[in-house]
Amino acid sequence: LKLPSGIQVLERGWLSSNNVVLHSQAATVVDSGYGTHAPQTVALLEHALGSKPLEHLVNTHCHSDHMGGNAAIRRRFRCKTSIPRGEAPLIDRWDERELILAAADQRAERFAYDRTFADGDTVRMGEYEWQVIAAPGHDAHAVMFYCAETKVLISGDALWENGFGAVFDRLFGRETALAETRATLERIAALGCAIVIPGHGSPFAGVAAALERAFARLKGYEEDVHRLARHVAKVLFTFAMLEKRSMPLAELPAYLKRVAILEEINRDYLKMSAPAFAQWLVADLERAGALARRDGMVLARGS
Amino acid sequence: MNPDTGLCEGCLRTLAEIAAWSAMSSDEKRAVRALLAARGAA
Repeated sequence: LKLPSGIQVLERGWLSSNNVVLHSQAATVVDSGYGTHAPQTVALLEHALGSKPLEHLVNTHCHSDHMGGNAAIRRRFRCKTSIPRGEAPLIDRWDERELILAAADQRAERFAYDRTFADGDTVRMGEYEWQVIAAPGHDAHAVMFYCAETKVLISGDALWENGFGAVFDRLFGRETALAETRATLERIAALGCAIVIPGHGSPFAGVAAALERAFARLKGYEEDVHRLARHVAKVLFTFAMLEKRSMPLAELPAYLKRVAILEEINRDYLKMSAPAFAQWLVADLERAGALARRDGMVLARGS
Repeated sequence: MNPDTGLCEGCLRTLAEIAAWSAMSSDEKRAVRALLAARGAA
């Protein structure tokens, strides 16, 4: 897959989102990775930019794996920062719950921003004009960026090659997240984009097939919200393990009670005892290849 | 990044390899993956 000139994707893992560098005399980067990876993110940007300045940092949405490097990037490059307008109140009051930080055992360094943007705006990033498109679902306030000239979509976590970012239906009192996800996928389908640069994984051209997989997955969640609850629990725990790398198995039941969102998912949907919840999570994620068990420890396998 | 080896501790790629990754052809990625396997075994 060949990306249009001036578009560079720093493809990261799952703990950190990809960073999309849009080159010009004054470059822009989309999303900043997870906080613990910030030194690597800064080093990668220095490498990618060479002697050119970084003018602008923008976020598709303000989850820890997309905004965790914002503070470090601002310090190093003295660039301006723009975020989706809907995220601004949460960032202003640094809402640890709605930003899915402490409530999910995630962390991010607080940062300042200069501007906001919203659906319908056009932003110049690198050599191209990008249309801001609202992408509620995975995050109520998320946006995507679409360049009609090159037919490239920077999708954040609204569409990946295999699925999309976990949708937290009914958490935070939102019962519309799945319907929003469907509308967002339909909006992507209507764009007719040729290339998608997702928040995680490689850029891809098979957009119709990716949408088909996403709609099939969404249908499964719409038909069985417990399936969604199990998925969200697994995603959150896997993410936490990517940061921690290891945890004593014996501590897991207490951990699952202590982390508010995991505790609520179990209380409201899974309804297992804490030891049973722990055992199910580890067994299922071990089978999926995301975790391993050794000498009484649970270990992360990905990055 | 590991300060001694200059490799990402997660994916074992160098900064230059991560930066170039999305522009590499399948053959080039395969070549880097072979290097990563050797690094992982080292």
